[in-house]
Amino acid sequence: MRKFFILLSLLLVVLVIGKVINLKFFYPVGVAGPLARVIDKMVEEFNKTHPNIKVEPVYCGNYDQTMQKVQTAVLSGNPPDVAVIEISELYTLINMDAIIPLDEYIEKEGGEEFLKQYYEAFLGNSYAKGKIWAIPFQRSTIVFYWNKDLFRKHAKELEAVGLDPNRAPRTWYELVKYAQILTEREGDEVLVHGLILPGGWNDWIFEAFVYQNGSYLISRDAKKANYNSLEALEVLQLWHELTNVYKVNPPLRPWNTTPVDFAAGKAAMMYYSTGGLPLILKTANFEVGVSFLPMHVQYGTPVGGGNFFIFKNIPKEHQDAAWEFIKWMTSPYWAAYWSIQSGYVCVNKKGYEEEIMKEHLKKYPQYLVARDQLKFAYPKIMAPEFQRIRKIMVTNLDAVMLGQKTPKEAVETMQREIQAILDRYK
Amino acid sequence: MVRKYKPFLFLLPSLVFLILFTYFPISYSLFYSFHEYNMYTRKPIFCGLKNYINMLHDSIFWQVVFNNVIYGVFTIFPTMFMALFLAILIDEVSKFKTFYQMGIFYPTIIPMTAAAMVWMFMYDPSLGIINKFLGLLHLPQPGWLGDSKTSLLSLIIMAIWKNLGYYMLLYLAGLQLIPRELYEAADIEGANWFRKHYHVTFPLVSPTTLFVFIVSIIQSFKVFTQVYLMTQGGPGYSSSVLVFYIYENAFRYWDIGMASALTSVMILVLLFLVLLVFGVFGKRVTYSLI
Repeated sequence: MRKFFILLSLLLVVLVIGKVINLKFFYPVGVAGPLARVIDKMVEEFNKTHPNIKVEPVYCGNYDQTMQKVQTAVLSGNPPDVAVIEISELYTLINMDAIIPLDEYIEKEGGEEFLKQYYEAFLGNSYAKGKIWAIPFQRSTIVFYWNKDLFRKHAKELEAVGLDPNRAPRTWYELVKYAQILTEREGDEVLVHGLILPGGWNDWIFEAFVYQNGSYLISRDAKKANYNSLEALEVLQLWHELTNVYKVNPPLRPWNTTPVDFAAGKAAMMYYSTGGLPLILKTANFEVGVSFLPMHVQYGTPVGGGNFFIFKNIPKEHQDAAWEFIKWMTSPYWAAYWSIQSGYVCVNKKGYEEEIMKEHLKKYPQYLVARDQLKFAYPKIMAPEFQRIRKIMVTNLDAVMLGQKTPKEAVETMQREIQAILDRYK
Repeated sequence: MVRKYKPFLFLLPSLVFLILFTYFPISYSLFYSFHEYNMYTRKPIFCGLKNYINMLHDSIFWQVVFNNVIYGVFTIFPTMFMALFLAILIDEVSKFKTFYQMGIFYPTIIPMTAAAMVWMFMYDPSLGIINKFLGLLHLPQPGWLGDSKTSLLSLIIMAIWKNLGYYMLLYLAGLQLIPRELYEAADIEGANWFRKHYHVTFPLVSPTTLFVFIVSIIQSFKVFTQVYLMTQGGPGYSSSVLVFYIYENAFRYWDIGMASALTSVMILVLLFLVLLVFGVFGKRVTYSLI
């Protein structure tokens, strides 16, 4: 009797599995904060409302670790069905023949009309070789965080040099001056840093400064590297001065503990992703200010974050199901929900009209800064073998921050090594 | 007839696993090391010794090797001597022996991942307990994992803490085999504590020492988890070790050819070192006194 029931239940399981499409979903968490739980909740909702699709979310670490997992999975013949991957990896994914273009799916949904619901600044990193490959999901810009209480504490000194303690610095020049006044020392030891330029993603922040100086690092078609420009050198010179000359910036705070330091009052100003907002608002016991990044020649920031990609070499119905999943996750309500929970910009314009978003913005208007900064935003640099390029950038930037290389040596090295990589793909 | 081959039939299952999971991957890796196989070529293309030549010209490779040597020297010798020292002390103590043993051994039981996470927080330059403690004593507070001058040292300290207990227990066991009469004889001769242990203990635990030496050399080459979790080889390549560099080449850059070449070199170096140690010290080991 028992054997019969076991066989029967096995048969039922097989029948049920046969009807349900199982999707493997690889995703990263790129900022400090318990975002994996939010993803789990959203996926659970999707699975509940779509009985014939079962998405299995697989947390893969940060952006670099997720890319490594994706590479391994694809190149060993066992790709995920859908994944969120850092936007700069587009060329690498195309070269690996890992993803499918989404033009057909978008056409079926109404073509241009469908794309209009997403912010154009975020779509910039979806195009290559005349096709569109990705849909934005967790998108950000770098934003400027400042501790309003610490600013007020130093109001007298700031006003003495003609600076306003009630607003953030607007230019590089002001940035240096504010940072010098806001740094609190006891003898040789720094108790509160004026500013933190974090390590870990300093390549992204370097890109921002170079845009603010009116230049670029890698051309849009990923053929020309421009690291040894005068503008890039000026940026690195500024970073060197902030860290090693004025000593207002600690060399290489890790990416994940930088918001923790800021929220604990150990730094007055900080460059960080808008994705750090929820953690900072929750743990800071001071008034948190968020502004555009200070300008030089112009305002500027690269966009950042991860896009949705659908993979090749999986059954067509899996790809169709993945498309449904992507549409749902970026629909106005859920994009708004994700933005509120994560601090990322809501990629869907209509999301800002949702009730939950309006309620949230009344309490925390800081969430709008990254979105408003989009008009000064540029697509992030993309290139094949981006992992290697990023490592070269981070290694050289770190060396300058630690005083081991001069800015000139660093930009020369980056230019030489990165152009060599780009040349291979000509 | 079958009787003659029975022993080999018993060995067969183990042999299958050995071939599948050890010999086959090693030979395949050696095979790939002579090919150019990366994200650009997408299929292995024969290139002879090109990977090996590139490796020798790669300054990062030499830095990584240097890091491995430093890491090895500063984990193996301090651990060995501290383990023996602690084992001798514990052996001589009469009360709370188990408490001391557990206290020194428990780091070994903790999974490396958990230990790495805890130490990462301890090493944090502004919020970590280590720098807070140094601050109280008005000592300089280094950047630990974020400073290329101290990143390797941070890993070394953590590794010593983690492995000390295991080697100490091995030495404790070895100490039990030394006849008490030898110590009594030394006492009668008027030897102080240090001479006693230098002339009696140290030579007589040499089998354990040989074992500890070989095992810790191998361990120092296998370092990966803590590097991956705590520093990712950084800043730059200051804390990158050979196995981590191989991982980076294989899974971050997908340069399978170079990663395979690096692996082959690592195996050869390890083989050479182990043979060297056995050759030089193997003869000086005093076995069984019973």
